[in-house]
Amino acid sequence: MRYAYFPGCSLSGASAQDYDLSLRWVCRFLGIELQEVRDWVCCGASSAHASSRLLSVAVPAISLSHAEQDGFDQLVAPCLACLSRMKAANQIFETDKALRKKVNEALEGGYRGTVKVFHPLEVLLNDVGLDSLGEKVRNRLPGLKVACYYGCALTRPPKVCRFDNPEYPMSMDSILRSVGLETLDWAYKTECCGVSMMLTRADMVVYLSHKIIRAAKEVGADVIAVCCPLCQANLDMRQGQIADKYGERFDIPVLYFTQLLGIIYGAYSGELGLSRLIVSPQRALENYGIL
Amino acid sequence: MRVELRQERNRLARWIQEITGENVNLCYQCRKCSVGCPAAYEMSLKPHEMMRALQLGLEGEVFQSGTIWMCLSCETCNTRCPQDIDIVRVIDGLRELVMSGRVNYFNPHPEIPAMHRLFLKLVQRYGRIYDLGLAFIMNLKMVDPFKDIDMAWPMLMKGKLKLLPHKSGGVNELRRVVSKVREIEGES
Repeated sequence: MRYAYFPGCSLSGASAQDYDLSLRWVCRFLGIELQEVRDWVCCGASSAHASSRLLSVAVPAISLSHAEQDGFDQLVAPCLACLSRMKAANQIFETDKALRKKVNEALEGGYRGTVKVFHPLEVLLNDVGLDSLGEKVRNRLPGLKVACYYGCALTRPPKVCRFDNPEYPMSMDSILRSVGLETLDWAYKTECCGVSMMLTRADMVVYLSHKIIRAAKEVGADVIAVCCPLCQANLDMRQGQIADKYGERFDIPVLYFTQLLGIIYGAYSGELGLSRLIVSPQRALENYGIL
Repeated sequence: MRVELRQERNRLARWIQEITGENVNLCYQCRKCSVGCPAAYEMSLKPHEMMRALQLGLEGEVFQSGTIWMCLSCETCNTRCPQDIDIVRVIDGLRELVMSGRVNYFNPHPEIPAMHRLFLKLVQRYGRIYDLGLAFIMNLKMVDPFKDIDMAWPMLMKGKLKLLPHKSGGVNELRRVVSKVREIEGES
């Protein structure tokens, strides 16, 4: 199993190095080879599609074309912003011939649209499978209750994402259950955390993140598992502001699903970047002798 | 209020169809979009009301409400629309009209298109996002220099902030592609 790897700005920068570390560790452990895309550039995120459709396809197509030229037909994007921009670019490439022509006029090497884009959850489900995931368990965390938060862009819009249920996804739940974790039934799996307003309307991000975290706490979650660096940043780092604004202090750790898998598979804390989490998972995990 | 419906007056619905391929007249006002929208609480014109205003060609209402800048692009409305209208794409089309200067209305949320412009500018400079620089310049622009400063110290302590930007090896190619895109858009 060999994939082109598009870490994106968050995972290659400082803010989500823990996601990058834990994802690489888990992939190595499971025999999935990741090779970073040569000279990749930012996907353009919401700013590109707010200003021009052509730009919103051409920018992610640069990195996709590098992967294509280097002989890859599969790419992994762990950030939901990158993932959705790249999946959307591929979709438009398939369906809009006129735009495809313009994009190829703008691109230097051209792009044929042959690189399929996946989230790591898709790779684990499709390529490794739940049975094999469960066979490699080294640590057990009995009694730990996990709320899986998927965010909005993993499954939406369904026509573009073509993965999991758009209203009530279960992929992360079934992966974590396959390694013996208990995951919870709750109603906020796909509610948006508001990340596109991170720099302009922090009040909206705090409002939306508060609702999500409160819902997780109400069903008895000890930790929240996430699959996107932007969701993670909001839910983890804003808990102080949520306490200031709404008078509720949650102190609930927000871990990447890859960090939980790494713990289960016996990685050391340092290999998973656990010390980088703003809300420390120490209290939730101390009974298990993990940290 | 009596609304005069004249096709030539409704250039907006026509533009939207040209830019996005979406027909706003498909909307029958079921309100599913507004009920599911996580940002509707901040919109004076809710998504279904915006769709109605587009059908009527009420440009002032559409743009001056600022609804298009409150949208989080979470795609919940798109997922649920029984008429399969790509509402987020419609909103992106409206944003494109503003960003390219084809319409010019009062915008109650000018900081948001300003952020998008700055974001793209920094991405063209480095090929990647320089988060600290982006946050710092946005704070200055919004005359709120210490916004989220409470988050900076824990982030720094946990190694979550890089002080200097990192340049991508692909930045020059990106710059050439962006200017080629602008060139192609100028022609059409």
